[in-house]
Amino acid sequence: MRWSLVWAVIRREYLQRVRSRWFVASTLGGPLLMAALIFLPAQVARRGEEAQRVLALVDRTGVLYERLEGRLEEVGYRVREEPWAEEVLSTLSRQVADGDLGGFIVLDDATLRAGEAVLYGKSRPSTIRWATLRGMITQAALESQLESQGVDVAALLGGGELRLELLTSEAAGMEDPQGILAFVGAFLLYMVILLYAASVMRATLEEKTSRVVEIVISSMKPWQLMLGKILGVGSVGLTQLAVWVGSAAVLAFTALPALIAAQPELSALQSVADALPGPGQLLLLLGFFLFGYFLFSGMYAAVGAMCSSEEEAQQAQFPVTLLVIIPAALVAPVIQEPNSVLSVSMSLVPFFSPVLMWSRAATGAAPVWQVALSFALMALAILAVAWVAGRIYRVGILMAGKRPTLPELWRWVREA
Amino acid sequence: MSSSDHAVRLEGVTKRFGAHTAVSSLDLDVPRGAIYGLLGPNGSGKTTSIRMIMGILLPDEGHVSLFGGDPDETRRSNVGYLPEERGVYKKMKVIDLLVFLSEIRGLPRAEGWRRAQEWLERLGLGAWAEKKVQDLSKGMQQKVQFIGTVIHEPELLILDEPFSGLDPINQDVLERIVREFHRGGTTILFSTHLMDQAERLCERVCLISRGQKVLDADLGELKAAERRGVLAVKFEGPDGWMRSPAVASAEIVNGSVHLRLAEGASHQEILKGAVEAGATIFRFDLLEPRLHEIFVRHAGDAAAVDAGLQTTPAGRER
Repeated sequence: MRWSLVWAVIRREYLQRVRSRWFVASTLGGPLLMAALIFLPAQVARRGEEAQRVLALVDRTGVLYERLEGRLEEVGYRVREEPWAEEVLSTLSRQVADGDLGGFIVLDDATLRAGEAVLYGKSRPSTIRWATLRGMITQAALESQLESQGVDVAALLGGGELRLELLTSEAAGMEDPQGILAFVGAFLLYMVILLYAASVMRATLEEKTSRVVEIVISSMKPWQLMLGKILGVGSVGLTQLAVWVGSAAVLAFTALPALIAAQPELSALQSVADALPGPGQLLLLLGFFLFGYFLFSGMYAAVGAMCSSEEEAQQAQFPVTLLVIIPAALVAPVIQEPNSVLSVSMSLVPFFSPVLMWSRAATGAAPVWQVALSFALMALAILAVAWVAGRIYRVGILMAGKRPTLPELWRWVREA
Repeated sequence: MSSSDHAVRLEGVTKRFGAHTAVSSLDLDVPRGAIYGLLGPNGSGKTTSIRMIMGILLPDEGHVSLFGGDPDETRRSNVGYLPEERGVYKKMKVIDLLVFLSEIRGLPRAEGWRRAQEWLERLGLGAWAEKKVQDLSKGMQQKVQFIGTVIHEPELLILDEPFSGLDPINQDVLERIVREFHRGGTTILFSTHLMDQAERLCERVCLISRGQKVLDADLGELKAAERRGVLAVKFEGPDGWMRSPAVASAEIVNGSVHLRLAEGASHQEILKGAVEAGATIFRFDLLEPRLHEIFVRHAGDAAAVDAGLQTTPAGRER
């Protein structure tokens, strides 16, 4: 009986939320937005340039065409060489005017010396195409000049090699894939915890102000309603998180490689896929979400229960919201200095652990015992919060009138 | 359940809000199977008393018992409670809301669904089952909430101003259902400030004013005991007999003369006087006092009471 009531509350809360238009829109909208951000620029860049795909090169230097041919084909041009002659410019111009040719480029000594060249065409190419062409031409010029002096251009331009010999167990910085993961994960945790824990408050408040609670509470104990509400809203959050993570994985492991294979100039996107978490990190993310959510949703439920209007709740929630915002503001410094005394101690504070300990764990800076300790501390904090918040909730949920003062709140906790 | 013969019992219950005493040492016994009216003007403490019975408020003094025990949630699950401030989950579908309400009272979902459908059909809301509650009119929402109150067929119905805001036809529909539950043995406690309604429905009434009990009696006995004072007379002929010291005042109401008897006077005396004076009597009727009058008489401060009492609900002229 006790648990079947909790279950009834969970089911109601879950189904009502999951069926809402807002949930469907945001859950599906997330992945769609992700996909759009990846695919749309590529599509836009490709639009309307089919006609300009055929390119003629008039190479008066004799060394540049061989370097450019392969590269241009790699980014989708069909290239042919046109030997220099007096009348070649007018012949090619006619072909362009007839639509047989997208355009042509004339390369000469000025190209080798200073990267100057002329692209003849009917219309202005897209900024990306134009920049790509310019970069390829100057690079080809640079390479051929340096090679004539015996420089290993490929190795140098490939970034050389800087071997890292670590003298400490320092962690990854912000620009590594792991740094990105830590940062994105921390942001996600912050957002989802805030979003869902705070909606427990709004749901509680709505129930209270609409007086439905008087009917519901006449059949169950306040803790059953509170627990059911928290679990119900939490499962909605989990559902959304699962859809997001799942679709990110699908995008990264199937769609993205296909896209990069089709359009090699987008290979920079590969770093996005590299930043995605593995199963172990996903589990950690899930753990921090659940613990953080339980910690904060209890507090938000109590805030909702002790207020009687949206305006009151806006003010009363501030101390709780502050506990969510503080760690979010510390994410960047903590990722950069994950093992400073301040970083370690802050990440062990239960209210800050979900965001900060996650950041340190994702970069590999936090030893296992610290992660374990943070979970233990969070578990203790959850019990303490449940005890206090449950008492405030029990008195507050049926209380009408003005918001209690702090001493009154303390009395509720003691006497409930 | 307990074998107590009282569904609800309040003993010396007092509730204060700050300096204001909403309910003052109230005693109330609602026998099992009774249909009981809690009457009084707005702000007299009806809702506060009901909220204490439902355990929503705790009394500052005194004791509340439900079915002979503490009003815990097991006992409260056996109560159908319709609060004065109607509350529903507006975004739920009507049918889902009713299934949820029966589920939390311990009915299996399938059974809740079946009963909800039956009730919706009966109250003419069958077509609205799959609509969201917020898409219904206020009156329809109220009927849905009424279904939610009775769907688990509780032993006790506590209805706080159950008919306010409903049109006459729907008032009658709900009144009929309340009577039906009463015949089936359900105890019914309802509050109202509509005296006509209480007069039609109740077996027993408790009149409260300013948080204090003014009267608590069987309605029939009360009326018999209070039957005094006003005669309705229709006659032709001389009217000098009306100037007898037995008549305190006279006024014409709907073609009859209403005579108020002087203290200690007997209506027999007046009849005799009229006949002897040679008047032809068509009607000579000792009027039953209306609940409204009884209440005003007992509450004392008539002006204050009148401010909150309605004999005939607005818009109901029949």
